[in-house]
Amino acid sequence: MYVMYKRLQQLRRGIALPAPGVPGSLALRHVDCGSCNGCEHELANAAAPHYDFGRYGLSMVASPRHADVLLITGTVTRRMAGPLLAAYEAMPEPRLVAALGNCALGVDVIANPDELAGPAEDLLPVDIRIPGCPPSPSEIVEALLDAMPLLRRPIRKDEA
Amino acid sequence: MTGQIAIEDVEPGDWRSAVGAAIQAGGQFDCLYAVPAGHDPVVRLVMRDGVGVRVLSTVAVASRTDSIVDLLPAAEWDEREAHDVHRVHFDGHEPMRALVGHPADRDAWITPVEGPDVHEVAVGPIHAGVIESGHFRFHVVGERILHLDLRLFYKHRDLEGVAAGLDLARGVAVAQRSCAPCAVANSLACATAIESLMGLEPDEDLRRGRTILLELERLYNHLHDLSALCSGVGFDPGAMTFAALKERAQRLNLRVAGHRFLFDTIRTGGGTTVLDQATAHEAGGELASIVREAGEAWRTLTFMESVQDRLGGIGILDRDQALRRGAVGPTARASGIRTDARAGSPAGLWYPGLEPARPDRPAGDVAARAGVRAVEIEQTGAILGELLARPPCGPGLAVAGRRQAAVGVGRTESPRGATVCCVEAAGGRIARLHLRTASFANWPAVADVVAGAIMPDFPLINKSFELCYACVDR
Repeated sequence: MYVMYKRLQQLRRGIALPAPGVPGSLALRHVDCGSCNGCEHELANAAAPHYDFGRYGLSMVASPRHADVLLITGTVTRRMAGPLLAAYEAMPEPRLVAALGNCALGVDVIANPDELAGPAEDLLPVDIRIPGCPPSPSEIVEALLDAMPLLRRPIRKDEA
Repeated sequence: MTGQIAIEDVEPGDWRSAVGAAIQAGGQFDCLYAVPAGHDPVVRLVMRDGVGVRVLSTVAVASRTDSIVDLLPAAEWDEREAHDVHRVHFDGHEPMRALVGHPADRDAWITPVEGPDVHEVAVGPIHAGVIESGHFRFHVVGERILHLDLRLFYKHRDLEGVAAGLDLARGVAVAQRSCAPCAVANSLACATAIESLMGLEPDEDLRRGRTILLELERLYNHLHDLSALCSGVGFDPGAMTFAALKERAQRLNLRVAGHRFLFDTIRTGGGTTVLDQATAHEAGGELASIVREAGEAWRTLTFMESVQDRLGGIGILDRDQALRRGAVGPTARASGIRTDARAGSPAGLWYPGLEPARPDRPAGDVAARAGVRAVEIEQTGAILGELLARPPCGPGLAVAGRRQAAVGVGRTESPRGATVCCVEAAGGRIARLHLRTASFANWPAVADVVAGAIMPDFPLINKSFELCYACVDR
């Protein structure tokens, strides 16, 4: 156990991630709509020590009810269109939709068109576009941090 | 990996006896698939024995043929898929529950489970974490699971349908897109199948280059699986340690082959990987460090009582059931079956003298499936270490050297086990491409072992198999 902690500490020092900038947070709900599982791996990697997106206020949440951002991966198959729309409906306003990876953006898709309802843009308003096959963890983190101001609003005097 | 494959035509009335005879002769099941041919589709059965690959074939007259699922229980999902996709009716396969098809009628895919206090828990297709989509229907009493119905194929993109009619050289791109974490294994099985159709054999450089890619894929996958298992018991330091090692392994992929998931490194007829001495030396050093630290972390885990207490004795797949289901890969080896598609020096690759890994205690439980991966990380480290010490001189080529096969069959050991790709051609184009991945082979066993477990153990049991949805759904 001691060795494990020591290694993790060494790793953290070695990587020296930049300090968080403007404070903020985004709760992310991921829905796989027919990916090859590459985008999922990179999204999960973004939470691991080399990127540690939690440090910048990003977190994965278990329910769309808790989410600010719907992260869509994959081509959006006919069979996932219903569950995707149900997840979107369950989210509170204001909310954002992110298309994560080329398939979700409708780029270089390999699939029988009869099996597809997507790309994501055909079903939902897409606010954040993250291209790549798959995008790297840093590209994912950067794109999400860039989107943070979209949900930021000035604090009204009377709510302080 | 491939032999001189001819198709053995069997009269429809003799199908069961011919299959029975092939099993008697020592044939082991690889896959079964249908080929559409107008009114009468054709059913192919691919088997393997000590000599090579056999392909038995029969015509499903008016789309009907006899089921062989009682002779080869491992063919259950194969027959269900052929039924749903190619409308082949298998006489004797009762009840024929929907697999690829998603009928609205729940009785078409759910097993009726009745009794006092029995209720259903529906999970998915969307899951709580960053997980692929698929639906689980648990039949439970309290916390105890009586039965699990799997409903996958939410991600069905009909990739096999897309492949039909494409130029032979494009098959690999379709196989690769089926699944990122198995990209090398799937596309190499496909490339090997197509090369055997064309009568091509890989030269020494290509064999070595491809073996490096297969093992790099195994390394980051196994590290990922151990990280997932630690998450499954809520042990975050372990999850983060193995996740960090996985990240280093994927950066190694980028350095050695130009892509974190090794995409576009497998082509039909030749290689793509060129390693100079300096890069190979540097990669060898990083590899050794990753493998050493993974061993260190694994030893730490073995002393963590609270972790070990969750792993032992749950999700047991005993050897007989693993054999019956045709389980493959680390799952089968954890149940004490000595099987590995890399053993016996397959012709297109470089695995001199490799023996299937042996876990300390092949009890078929979650602990054994974790343990076998720890052993295999060392094994992969040793293979890669040797190959990187004497890297291939060039990308390599597949050269004409054998008779052209009527059906191309490629077989690789993916991180999850034996993966088979069959390709048939007509006029230089793909007539039929069928990809049966290790995940497809192992999913039925997940449902088996969950019966009797409690709900909170399901995520852990599931993670100990760590199967893909993408290359099952295709």
